[in-house]
Amino acid sequence: MNSPISSPSSFRSGAGGAALELRGVSKTYPGGVHAVRNADLAVFPGEIHALCGENGAGKTTLASIAAGKLKASAGTVLAHGNVGLVHQHFELVDRLRVWENVVLGYEPHRGLRLDATAAHERVVALSQEYGLAVDPDAIVENLPVGIAQRVELLRELARNPSVLILDEPTAVLAPAEIDALFATVRALAERGTAVLIITHKLQEVISHTSRITVMRAGEVVAHFETADTTVDEIARAMVGGELPKLATRVETNLKPALVLRGLTAGESSFAVRDATFDVEGGEIVGIAGVEGNGQSALADAIAGVIPYQGSIELAGATLPAGDPAGRIARGIRTIPQDRRREALVLTWSIVENVALGDQRRPPLCRGINLNREAERALAKSIVERFDVRTPSIEASVAALSGGNQQKVVVGRALAHDPKFLLVYQPTRGIDVGAAALVQSRLIEARNAGVAVLLISFELDEILALCDRVLVMYRGAIVGNFTRGAIDRGRIGSLMAGASALGAAS
Amino acid sequence: MIRALGIAGALVAIAAGAMLLAGANPIMGFYALFEGALGGKSQIAETLVQTTSLLFPSLAVAFAFRAGLFNIGAEGQLIIGGLLAGLIGARLDAPGFIAIPILLIAGAAGGALWSSIAGLLRARFGGSEVIATLMLNIVAALLANYLVVGPLHSPGAAGPETAELPHGSWLPTLLPGTRLSLALPIALVLALVLRYLFDRTVFGYELRAAGSAPEAARRAGINLAKTAFIAMALSGAMAGLGGATIVTGVLHRFNVSLSPGYGFIAIAVALVGDLDPLKIIIASFAFGILQSGALTMQALAQVPKDVVSFVEGLAILALAARRFVAERLRVQPAE
Repeated sequence: MNSPISSPSSFRSGAGGAALELRGVSKTYPGGVHAVRNADLAVFPGEIHALCGENGAGKTTLASIAAGKLKASAGTVLAHGNVGLVHQHFELVDRLRVWENVVLGYEPHRGLRLDATAAHERVVALSQEYGLAVDPDAIVENLPVGIAQRVELLRELARNPSVLILDEPTAVLAPAEIDALFATVRALAERGTAVLIITHKLQEVISHTSRITVMRAGEVVAHFETADTTVDEIARAMVGGELPKLATRVETNLKPALVLRGLTAGESSFAVRDATFDVEGGEIVGIAGVEGNGQSALADAIAGVIPYQGSIELAGATLPAGDPAGRIARGIRTIPQDRRREALVLTWSIVENVALGDQRRPPLCRGINLNREAERALAKSIVERFDVRTPSIEASVAALSGGNQQKVVVGRALAHDPKFLLVYQPTRGIDVGAAALVQSRLIEARNAGVAVLLISFELDEILALCDRVLVMYRGAIVGNFTRGAIDRGRIGSLMAGASALGAAS
Repeated sequence: MIRALGIAGALVAIAAGAMLLAGANPIMGFYALFEGALGGKSQIAETLVQTTSLLFPSLAVAFAFRAGLFNIGAEGQLIIGGLLAGLIGARLDAPGFIAIPILLIAGAAGGALWSSIAGLLRARFGGSEVIATLMLNIVAALLANYLVVGPLHSPGAAGPETAELPHGSWLPTLLPGTRLSLALPIALVLALVLRYLFDRTVFGYELRAAGSAPEAARRAGINLAKTAFIAMALSGAMAGLGGATIVTGVLHRFNVSLSPGYGFIAIAVALVGDLDPLKIIIASFAFGILQSGALTMQALAQVPKDVVSFVEGLAILALAARRFVAERLRVQPAE
């Protein structure tokens, strides 16, 4: 452990003046899972306080308790005034207008009738007061995520909170939007609001906050003054030790693998349009972009589960559309975005899950029957090679942590000598150790000559793993950065919609 | 297990309460129920007849369920299966070893045909199999009534039924003097085959994948529409086969009231049996006791036999709630 300060209460004398204070808060879920254990946290008016930790550390649970959305099993929560919570996944009514969402639950009314004019005016006033420009009459489902987040913020600000909690607010934003968000947050803090930001992006923590609380495995393990600490120190506190190292990349001989020509697929604002690029064996090509810019349509078209125009070729042969089984047979393997829904049968054991996709190919089948011995042998080798932490290969995958589930998915994808690997957000929601292992295995696959396409919303992940980077914005490939010419700043502005002219290529 | 016993205990208590409300003595009621179901050789045989008639549609419902389909049309598929067996059987004069297989296959085909309507709607257009199978129950009952009374009326049939099948077409009895026939071992073998299918075969694996995690199954190359269609057709075939065994083994003719709602009770049986073919055998026997003891209970203890339906309904409710609660407990916030 690496806590420079022994007890949280030691760092501002007494509780005096805290806008939000949690003392000895614990949360145990039915089934005996301790999500939070004996946590202390104090947030003061006018400060921007970061709550850091790995996935599963208990941050969101603690925030929900602080906001009164979840009841603590033990401990006390003291809040002076309202606590507003902006969720990671927006809780807006998609079909309603912006102003309707903002006043929802607190609608001004005349008798029984909704006073639309007053509500409308209130939203316009709020939007001007906080400098959060929105069109009050827009339908929420048509808004880009950055704007939808402003609506969420406005809705919470309408309650005039003394404490504002933001749960992973930057996860879906482009770099420029992130700057705008923090400008707003800083203005709020200057007006005396206590702000608590939950995040795992440590660079943002260093740049924008004043104090930091770190959680690990349900417990508060460290407090830092931002000015006195570094990204490395916070990361070590989060992980509880040194950070794992990634596998090293070696020189590879590139050979043609996957070629996309004029690929168009998907619907309206989430479509991919006229994408033409290739991925060669022995390289990792990254697709950088903010979530919702056509990445899912691109991935689904390559996986063969949605219709598309244009062509997809593997090793010179055009793939038929709508044929996921044929793609698997040709050596195209996918690590989908939502492992729990798209990759695993949660109620099944590891043994049964490792056969999924290959159930019709020997040795995993024998005639019309499954081959249990072969399934077990495969499960065993994946569990060993990928260090899957499980009591047994017969354990259901639902009982595994997200990181261990992902190791099973990646292990399965790499088990049959793939030619092309489609990887979508491979480290989302998993702990640092599992993430490093998954990333290292991807690099090793690349070293062994596999063509890897990595779609990620985390620019850091793209930059750490990729040989080449393509940028996706509104369904189009707007930038192509070759090896040695990868420019972080330029990629960031292309992600936010800057003109593609002048992109290095 | 303890929870299952708890549910059973609560149901017994509620049943006792219902009997009290109906002005009867619950102890007498339970005594009469079990006396009527298990009190002697002929009672046990009749209970096994009910068990068999429940087992076919229950396996049908469970099969569809495992593939992610809610087939609440087993009743209609059973009727159509029975109808086809009855219509052909009344007109077919052939040695038993030819006639019986033909009639059973006809029943299975009839049930499969009927459920395939819902299967096709689901596979081609994504239509809800729940609504389709539910509505097809009504169509099946009315169609059967119309056909046997109207255009396909058999000479010699009294009510809404076909003429009696020639003796050669009757399923052989297991116990002389009872209605217990070869249908029971056929149903038991079917349960074993299904268990094998689910546990050991690639086909069963793909069905279960499609049922438990359709999106993962699709991405693993499993054709969901095709799987749904085949599962629905086979489910209907099992229910239809059940109808055919009632015609050839129990009534020896088709009658529009050949089922007191086996296809509906089957939903409860399948759930009680955890969708596992072997446990469903036991569950069918338990519900068979209720079915076969109900009349004795009414006669001896003056407990309306509707108390049985009432308790069956509560069992479904309790099971549905248990599943719901289990889901709720498993779901936790992402962090």
